[in-house]
Amino acid sequence: MRFRRVALCALALAACYGCARPHDRVAPGFIQVDIETSPTALDPRYATDAISERIDELMFDPMVRLDPQGGFVGDLAESIERTSPTEIIFHLRQGVHFNDGRELTARDVKSTFDFVIDRKNRSPKAGGLEQIKSIDALDDYTIKMTTRGPYAPALEMAMLGIVPGQTPGRNSSALDAPPGTGPFRLRDFERDDRVVLERNPARPISDANAIRGIIFKVVPDPTVRALELVEHICDLAPNDIQPDLLPYLRAQNGLDVLTSPGTTYWYLTFNFRDPALRDLKVRRAIAYSIDRDEIIRAYLRGTARIATGLLTPENWAYDGEVVTYPYDPERARQLLDNAGFKADRNGMRHLTLVYKCTPEGGRMGEILQAMLRRVGIEVRIRSNEWATFYGDMQRGNFDIAAMEWIGIKDPHHYYMVFDAPMTPPRGLNRGNYSNPEMDRLVEAGDTTTDEAARRKIYAQVQKLAAEDLPYLSLWWQDNVMVMNRTVAGFKPYPNGSLRSLADLTLTSPALMTTADGEPSE
Amino acid sequence: MIAYLGRRLLALIPVALGVATITFALIHLVPGDPVVAMLGDMAAPADIEGMRHELGLDRPLWQQYAAFLGGLATGDLGESISTHQRVAHLIAQRFPATLELASAGVIVAIAIAFPLGMIAGAAPGGPADLGAMGFAVVGISVPHLYLGPLLMILFSLKLRWLPLTGRGGLSHLILPAVTLGTALAAILARMLRQSLVQVRGSDYMRTAIGKGLSANAALLRHGLRNALTPVVTLLGLQLGGLLAGSIITEVIFSWPGLGRLMITAISARDYPLVEGCVLTFALTYVVVNMATDMVYGLIDPRIRLGGEAR
Amino acid sequence: MRLRTNLSLGIGGTLVAILILIGIFGPLITRHDPLAIDLRLALAGPKPNHPLGCDALGRDMLARLMYGARLSLAVSISVVALSLVVGSLIGGSAALAGGRVDSIVMRFVDVFLAFPGFLLAIALAAILGPGLTDLVIALTAMGWTGYARLVRGEVLSLREREYVQAANTLGATPSRILIRHLLPGIAGPVAVQATFGIGGIIVAEASLSFLGLGAMPPTPSWGNMLDAGRAFLLVAPHLTTAPGIAIGLSVLAFNLLGDGLAQLAGRRS
Repeated sequence: MRFRRVALCALALAACYGCARPHDRVAPGFIQVDIETSPTALDPRYATDAISERIDELMFDPMVRLDPQGGFVGDLAESIERTSPTEIIFHLRQGVHFNDGRELTARDVKSTFDFVIDRKNRSPKAGGLEQIKSIDALDDYTIKMTTRGPYAPALEMAMLGIVPGQTPGRNSSALDAPPGTGPFRLRDFERDDRVVLERNPARPISDANAIRGIIFKVVPDPTVRALELVEHICDLAPNDIQPDLLPYLRAQNGLDVLTSPGTTYWYLTFNFRDPALRDLKVRRAIAYSIDRDEIIRAYLRGTARIATGLLTPENWAYDGEVVTYPYDPERARQLLDNAGFKADRNGMRHLTLVYKCTPEGGRMGEILQAMLRRVGIEVRIRSNEWATFYGDMQRGNFDIAAMEWIGIKDPHHYYMVFDAPMTPPRGLNRGNYSNPEMDRLVEAGDTTTDEAARRKIYAQVQKLAAEDLPYLSLWWQDNVMVMNRTVAGFKPYPNGSLRSLADLTLTSPALMTTADGEPSE
Repeated sequence: MIAYLGRRLLALIPVALGVATITFALIHLVPGDPVVAMLGDMAAPADIEGMRHELGLDRPLWQQYAAFLGGLATGDLGESISTHQRVAHLIAQRFPATLELASAGVIVAIAIAFPLGMIAGAAPGGPADLGAMGFAVVGISVPHLYLGPLLMILFSLKLRWLPLTGRGGLSHLILPAVTLGTALAAILARMLRQSLVQVRGSDYMRTAIGKGLSANAALLRHGLRNALTPVVTLLGLQLGGLLAGSIITEVIFSWPGLGRLMITAISARDYPLVEGCVLTFALTYVVVNMATDMVYGLIDPRIRLGGEAR
Repeated sequence: MRLRTNLSLGIGGTLVAILILIGIFGPLITRHDPLAIDLRLALAGPKPNHPLGCDALGRDMLARLMYGARLSLAVSISVVALSLVVGSLIGGSAALAGGRVDSIVMRFVDVFLAFPGFLLAIALAAILGPGLTDLVIALTAMGWTGYARLVRGEVLSLREREYVQAANTLGATPSRILIRHLLPGIAGPVAVQATFGIGGIIVAEASLSFLGLGAMPPTPSWGNMLDAGRAFLLVAPHLTTAPGIAIGLSVLAFNLLGDGLAQLAGRRS
């Protein structure tokens, strides 16, 4: 008797537990996007990692942004005029409101820029705005940006998302976002778990089928992301899909796999503090040892193009007439012999390089390790979680590493990565590369405002970079989106921007009107 | 009785101290410079000195030890290098998840071990016995390392009955708990069978049967309670091993507990956090063992009074 | 009873013998280089040239398993041997010294025991860094205490036995006493403990390699093969199944052998 009662209670309890709505059920009109890592900052004045930037793009508007073809288009700025080599005037749109009701004026723009530029606020974006001499609000809707000298990439600096004036700085555990003018606003943020965005009430939409909100769910495990796609728990997974899973996902009903050319540039960076790597012969040998065709075909399953340099063919300054390094291990061995690294009986050359990576990058590390072993170079792989890896890269605690640049738009980036004084924390020259000819060229590229002249300069930069090998160009990664077929209207941007999520519609009306209610917490 | 408990609690202190000292020695007396490991050997000497000072590593060893023990007494375990949060806070956040997993593992172990052991013990030498014990040997041999992914492939990927990783409702707990508890279940089942067989041959059992009870009823009514004691003893002894197994299980299932925190801290070269996690695990182990000891002292007066251990 | 002893001993013994043969000769007879990659064969399932398929980089799984067997056996046997030596030295000397020294040493052993073994191995492996020698050191720290206690117990009881005292009086050197009288006494329990120990160390090494604290790529270890297979559970479960079964069977083999030996020793005494 007693036993039966106990059993019934246990069953009831289990039922309650089991029936509790798991966190990942979607509310009507909301889509779920699975992402690999948690965003760190939902404030455009601080965000520098890719996922934070992409989510911020949905909540905050800049004066100027990129269109799907990669060109500049005004957002908050209705029109732009360059009045002198050092001055640009932005005329702001009127009637734009923050999601708390206030209207956006030039004062908000000025205060956002001033906040980032002020070193006291320790914004990691300050370095990028170094060339700004001043931002002035000429009237309620006009902004004047003055640069220290003629500065070609000035417009890129205007891509900063705007927050209201008087918004305080971030403390280290901020789980809030400032008000923004973007199509969405923040509803909920649980670090390492999810970000929930809902439509900005100040920007009503007319389409009844447009999505009402987005749940960005942090799912670090790629297998789970794939499973969630297959089970339609997740509606969209942007990039970060394991290439090996693509054939499997393509074969699933109800899923679409969209690949489009991307600007994400993968490269091998050399640490010039290492004497062996300072020898050009060694770097060239490494370049000839890596079979990039094979890697793209077999490991990346064709979702990339062999890269010749930092800039993709879609970029206005692209020049493809540069020296390339087809797979040629024999030549690599010769170069290493010439460099003084003779091979012993086993073919190994007493040249050991430390390769740093994250656990996700371990497989590529092993591929490179195996390819370099074929020519006699020993590679030791050291894998750490992202923050430690990033810290190592910033401090020069590596010999070689494979990394990516996401969202390169203007060739000004060459200055940040190759100019000799631009080592971290000031710039991005992590390998401590120093070449006076390169310095001359990239500095000229920044200060020349005539586009034709700039193009000539950067053509030379690309040729020099391919010859001198501060980076070994690996490939340009395509953007790969896997989507639920019930979601329509997605437009890919070469830099991986998720801006078009604002235009998504759900093709199945039933998804908009279930009686389910709010997403459970 | 109170005196006994008091004595045991007092004995806890030197052991805890010893464990803390071992932890300190591990982190601080090892060859190689942790600061160089963190900053790289190309780092500027000024940076290395700065970091060393920040971590308090330039003070004499006994001072560091004293500071460590002092912090321990007040519950301050320092600051995590990678997240800049208090180590004690991080550990407190994650510890409940580990407890949840460990207790679920114990429940699963008992739930499997009981029927298995009883079936085997009821008819020793028979086919059920061989089957159950064969199962037990396999259960002990398959490590968490493989059982976890095996269950994942079967129940999550192929059958889609259960979620793959992470912590959530009951359904998220099942696979990790089964993974963790199976080996323990196998050990307990074997012990239960053995002690049941022993009990069957004992005098009071024969008396009960002589009085007219069937063999099984006698077993259930009289034998079981006595058969249980060595099993419970074994359970107590194995609890520490369960903690160790939980580390691997947490990593396999991305369970947000203390074990996974420790492994992440190791990867981040976050020595204060590693130290804190190791210490917490070790102290928990000590406390659990001590508690088990005390419980036996309560159950079996002979132990309490200093007689022979069973 | 007799049947069961033979069963455990027989099956366990056979499996262990097979394992040792694989470990010694397997790498010599395999045609494939366990480190040679071939990206076109990445994640390939079993096929004529590759009976167990290939891993994520197109390396032959069978070859990697066999090299992994060699690694597991070499590491675990070294560790157990080292633990035995260290434990015997410490336990034996403590027992011989007796009195105060014995108490202190045993206190030390107790405190060591209060520390969960695997945790100690993880912590040491993390701090000492990657590399096989460091791995062996870290794993030795796990198990030496068992042997210390065992040897100490035997030596203590031996001291009291009459024939030992007689031999001592007659002028036999301590080493003679050791070899003639001590070794036969502990051979049994030590053999049993060592056998179970090898199985345990195989799992511990695999666990450490799985966590990234043991054998480093590209060296194949069953543990790091399991870790590599995790990302491909959905499309290539054989990457996980193969090393997993290998570990399970090896541990089973040593556990059965240990069981058999225990029952053999139990019957004798």
